[in-house]
Amino acid sequence: MKYDIAVIGSGMSGLMASIYLAEQGLNTAIVSRGDPICSVSSGCIDIAGTGKKTLDSINNFPEEHPYNKVGEKGISYSIQYFLNIMKEEGYDYTGNFEKNRNILTPIGKHRVTSLVPFPMKHADIGKDEAFHIISFKDIKDFFPSYIRGVFPDTSISVFNAGTHTTMGIAAKMDNKDFLSTFITWIKSQKIKQNKIGIPAVLGITKTYEIIKKLEIETGKFFFEIPTLPPSIPGIRLYRSLKSIAEKKGVSFYGSAEITDFKKEKDRIINITIKKPGRPDYVNADAFILATGSFVSGGLFLDKNIFKETVFNLPVYSPVEKEVFNQDFFKLGHPIEKSGILIDNNFNATESAYSNLFIAGSILANSETMKYQCGHGMAIATGIAAAKSAKEYLK
Amino acid sequence: MIKTDVIIIGGGATGTGIARDMALRGIDHCLIEKKDFAAGATGACHGLLHSGGRYTVKDPEAARECITENTILRKIGKKCVEPTEGLFVRLPGDTIEYRDDFLKSCKETGIKTKILSASEAIKLVPNLNPSLLEAVKVPDASIDPFRLCMLNVISSQRRGGKIFTHHKVVEIVKTRGRCTGVKVLDKFSAEIIEISGKVIINASGAWGSGIAKMAGSDVPMSLSKGSLIIANHRLSNLVINRLRPSSNGDIIVPNETVSLAGTTSIHVDDPDNLTTDPGEIDLIRSEAAMMLPDFNNIRLIRSYTGVRPLLKAADTSSGDRSISRGFQIIDHKNGMFSILGGKLTTYRLMAEKMTNRVADHFGIKIPCTTAEVPLEGQEDLSGYPVSKRLGKIENIMCECELVSRSKVKKVIEDTGTKNIGDIQHRTRLGMGPCQGGFCTYRALGLMQETGQVSPEESLDTLKRFLQRRYKGSRPLLYGDQLREEQLVEGIYLSLLGMAEHEV
Repeated sequence: MKYDIAVIGSGMSGLMASIYLAEQGLNTAIVSRGDPICSVSSGCIDIAGTGKKTLDSINNFPEEHPYNKVGEKGISYSIQYFLNIMKEEGYDYTGNFEKNRNILTPIGKHRVTSLVPFPMKHADIGKDEAFHIISFKDIKDFFPSYIRGVFPDTSISVFNAGTHTTMGIAAKMDNKDFLSTFITWIKSQKIKQNKIGIPAVLGITKTYEIIKKLEIETGKFFFEIPTLPPSIPGIRLYRSLKSIAEKKGVSFYGSAEITDFKKEKDRIINITIKKPGRPDYVNADAFILATGSFVSGGLFLDKNIFKETVFNLPVYSPVEKEVFNQDFFKLGHPIEKSGILIDNNFNATESAYSNLFIAGSILANSETMKYQCGHGMAIATGIAAAKSAKEYLK
Repeated sequence: MIKTDVIIIGGGATGTGIARDMALRGIDHCLIEKKDFAAGATGACHGLLHSGGRYTVKDPEAARECITENTILRKIGKKCVEPTEGLFVRLPGDTIEYRDDFLKSCKETGIKTKILSASEAIKLVPNLNPSLLEAVKVPDASIDPFRLCMLNVISSQRRGGKIFTHHKVVEIVKTRGRCTGVKVLDKFSAEIIEISGKVIINASGAWGSGIAKMAGSDVPMSLSKGSLIIANHRLSNLVINRLRPSSNGDIIVPNETVSLAGTTSIHVDDPDNLTTDPGEIDLIRSEAAMMLPDFNNIRLIRSYTGVRPLLKAADTSSGDRSISRGFQIIDHKNGMFSILGGKLTTYRLMAEKMTNRVADHFGIKIPCTTAEVPLEGQEDLSGYPVSKRLGKIENIMCECELVSRSKVKKVIEDTGTKNIGDIQHRTRLGMGPCQGGFCTYRALGLMQETGQVSPEESLDTLKRFLQRRYKGSRPLLYGDQLREEQLVEGIYLSLLGMAEHEV
């Protein structure tokens, strides 16, 4: 099969790139090895820093940070693009490109982020704000007492959902009868506070309807608190983007491990996918590499040697001798600087491939943990790389 | 003021073993441990119940002790000993002379052996290096040192023994030159408790000379650190040893879901300040990979270092490895005894000899029965294999080691512990491939719900735990373990918001 563009990686940057390209009328494929890291994330979109305004942070980022290849206008455009397509899909995100917000975490801490899915739009909790928590009997990954340690006035009530995993409860919520029983129970609790926090289990596919019904019938505001993986908001984010891509005509190659590729002069012609029986080939005029950092498998540290796992591109590695901090809680290990260096066209600077564009956290100097810019950077560079690829194909 | 006859200092295998022996002979006693059970050398070892094969050529006496104790522990501790059996593998370059000496010596010391051809050995352990020449099967086994200590303690407690964990000895009380008691610091309440006793037993291992000094005595000791690595799979169902004179990295022990490999032997001075050097890890890894080549590529999940309290021999010119692993009882003639050296496999024998001395001292004629009476409390344990822990589908708190929520809850309620280590050691929570990355947060949440700890305390504990976990995995951050680490960082630092931000 021959495509205009093949995107490698189905994480935030790969999905955003492919959605953008398909919308531009290009015949696009995604080749992915498995579910991406965004599906275990909190589902929130961090754009930059922990201050009130994202731009203040971005302006202080080092010159080599990938955001500087996209530019303020480019970042703003891609975030708005993300907001638009998610709205169209019926899984709205709240927030804007410039402002950060503070949401409640499962241990009662605050976490800075920029865009949140609509079930978390009331998750900005003030210091003295009163709220109630609904938890579930024997739930595995949520312990409201952590939160009560920080907010002593919080009241808690516990519902017996008959199952104890977040995934199991969320699946039950999608069921109408279960939801009705749950709502009847909430009403019986005579909760005084106006805001009710709940672990992120309010449905996997019917979240919008569930929250609407909850709010109408109880007259309260509900907000979800993200939990440990499997994280339902992360799964919703991934599934929504995937569904958008599919609707726009992107072809998916799932569970696809790339074993080889073919090049001709300075161009990549195709990639080989491992399949039982005989291998499959994906041919394309241009490729976008969005395989992520170490955790996603795009980069691999073979003892002391840094490797890029698909095309064996040269990897920039940090100059520091100690690439890991001594302290677990200090953000930003020097190793997070490692990755692929790019030019202004999002081509890898030290490789000879003119039709290969790089996006997402595989990029050198992105340091997404330190700068708290993970999903935002993935969205912005995904669309920027897609634009460059489109230019190239003209 | 608490009154007792015997005060045992140290909650390792030796100390808890003595407590059990005392209990079975009806001697009133109390045990003090500054951390949790098995916090020193006991918990930082391989978890190998030696057949004696490792020592047989150089130290036949130690080997004889090992095989006797090995047979006893299999019998009395069915649920903490996994009778894996072991192989000594001969690889190209390992001499036939050593093998002959080994077989001869095993025969003399009473260690049953069976020679296996290379293909027979590979049939038994398919992951073995295919170029091995032959293997000798011996009755090695895998032992859980944490469980062992717990079970010893149960026998003591059921007979009125008083056990103080997380209590630190701060003073040895002396009256007219004789030790008559101790002052201990409760590490949770910061209170000082005084305990009086007629005899004090110093079974504090590597910390022994510090305790002896408090009583104005001296013990000749040499400390040797040994490092180990843990791989995230059970690569072999048998213990694998190298058929050559003792050296670094020549033992691999399957332990439930993971494999441990080690060790090294490096002289140290301070038992409280141990670090694992990257060089040690590389050495152990490459040596282990000679026997099981999968060690080259496997994900290493943790490294740790323990310290061996060895007896100081007159001649130490050939290094710590040549110092005897035998044990010695020193009567300080002031009411304190120190028990030094030894190894996990012979802990019961050490306890027996020590208790004999104390019984003599008191003129008690009751003989030792610890070799015949099975360890009590085993009825509550699931035993081996790990799949037995899942009789029915339950709410699992630790997926790696299949520890259920109800089990953790029971430990919390039974022990009233504030310490996450206590739960880990009693259930194996957090000891599998993810090294507590998920379940520690859960166990601490449950401790809050049962009112054992406050949220602040549990967050502090969680922080300390994560820092310690990171210390163990930091030297191993490459390959797939780096991926795991980034995931754990994503969860704790980002999702839960525990990072310390630089402003």
